[in-house]
Amino acid sequence: MLDRRTLMGVSAAVTSALGVLTGRAAHAKSEPKVNPAGTLAPRGRFGRMERLANLDLESRQDFLMSFRTWANSDLSRAALSRSEVILAGKGLKKDADLTQPEAVALLENDPLIATSTRAWLSCQQLSWNGLKEEFENNSDKYLSELEAADKMGPGTLELNPSYPWPDYVKHEIHIQPGGYVGNEFAGHMYHYGTNGFYTGRNHNDELHVGVANAMPLPKDGKVLRILDVGTGIGQLAMALKERFPNAEVWGIDAGGPMVRYAHLRAVERGLDVNFAQRLGEDTKFPDNYFDIVTSYIMFHEVSPEGTKAHVKEAMRIVRPGGIYYPLDFKLTGAPKRTAYGHYRSWWDHRWNNEVWTIKFRQNGLPDLIRQAGFELNEKEPELLKGFGILNATKPAQA
Amino acid sequence: MADDKNRPKAASDFIKGDTDAAVFLGNPHIDNLMSIVIAIGAEIWADRQRSRIIEHLLDTKGKVTTKMIEQFVPSEEQKAAWAAERDTMTKRVYGVLARDTSAGRPFGEPFNNK
Repeated sequence: MLDRRTLMGVSAAVTSALGVLTGRAAHAKSEPKVNPAGTLAPRGRFGRMERLANLDLESRQDFLMSFRTWANSDLSRAALSRSEVILAGKGLKKDADLTQPEAVALLENDPLIATSTRAWLSCQQLSWNGLKEEFENNSDKYLSELEAADKMGPGTLELNPSYPWPDYVKHEIHIQPGGYVGNEFAGHMYHYGTNGFYTGRNHNDELHVGVANAMPLPKDGKVLRILDVGTGIGQLAMALKERFPNAEVWGIDAGGPMVRYAHLRAVERGLDVNFAQRLGEDTKFPDNYFDIVTSYIMFHEVSPEGTKAHVKEAMRIVRPGGIYYPLDFKLTGAPKRTAYGHYRSWWDHRWNNEVWTIKFRQNGLPDLIRQAGFELNEKEPELLKGFGILNATKPAQA
Repeated sequence: MADDKNRPKAASDFIKGDTDAAVFLGNPHIDNLMSIVIAIGAEIWADRQRSRIIEHLLDTKGKVTTKMIEQFVPSEEQKAAWAAERDTMTKRVYGVLARDTSAGRPFGEPFNNK
């Protein structure tokens, strides 16, 4: 495991650093170095995750994770209770069959419910802004690290910032500043910002490793090539490489800064994973190339048109008998939405900039997968508890 | 951002969201105050963490420097204890936001608590 901060230092000379990194890469396939507790080692890592650059920033992010968890539990429960009082005041039952606009109109101006939304969003904004400030104010150091790793292996990096990217990938999803495409440190911000989402399960890519280990195999057991579409910072792609060390593994994403950071992490860990800035609907791979094509919670960030094109492209590049498993939120058998559930879904869409989530729930992704020609099993295996099951196989005769 | 235009870039144009303009509490300044009180909590917790580390270093090493503080790695027991303290502080300080406001009165409404 390379320690990028120790190796690079502030304003590191890239040429010199390349030599240092190259010399160390051969030793990098071991598990991450974890500083012994109670020691005075450099800031080091928590698991696979390099610690933030200073204690104050780390502590502030730590607090915001706690606040977010509290807002999602105690404060959200209070808002739910309040919504039930409001419904009762209108002569409606808790499970009243309201449309989303009706639920929003009924609830959005209540002070407690509005406070819960405001508090959650303020926390989210504070977290992103704190991270953005760190990476942009110290951009020379962080860019030097990226530049040093860009041309290093064992895996490859392909960037295409001038590609005509469709508008749907350009939004500031989750109000991340610049989104996944518009800030050089999108990958850095995403990695540390999602600590609040994973609540302690991000230091070793825990969920991604779990998903990779549960990924179903083609019936013939052959896994030579794997693609992770919408790979982000490459957490699932790297976990798949660890499970299938002899496979050719690719991760593609529209976010150039995301795959650049993914490549940096792969270099540090000595993992032979290829990352490319490409679209899921225009992957550039040959027909029938992959044994497994997957994605990790991506489709709810994709437009309806993009979704159809993604599935069509997957059908083209998965080999007969191969697996297509796009993991995402549950679409089949999900519980009926309460009025408060409708409201939360709305503000998450409108103010947390989950631009495509509402349409994702209407897209009929399972049907699209069947219509493309896959055989779909919606019963097993479950890759991530509570998430949707979309285990598709390309028929052998296709 | 670095001022070097010649550095390799991976970012491209994006569509700016409008969440910064959102007002939930009837007055944008009250919305701002919510952000402020959460930010202050984060600052207080940062100082609390630092204090805990300083106390530990003085107890175990008999001295403390900035470098020792920044480089300190807590034990699993310390991580768990500090996380519990943090979560307790969050509930203690912010719990009032979750109080039942069903009987709340607008400003200026006559007091009528019979």
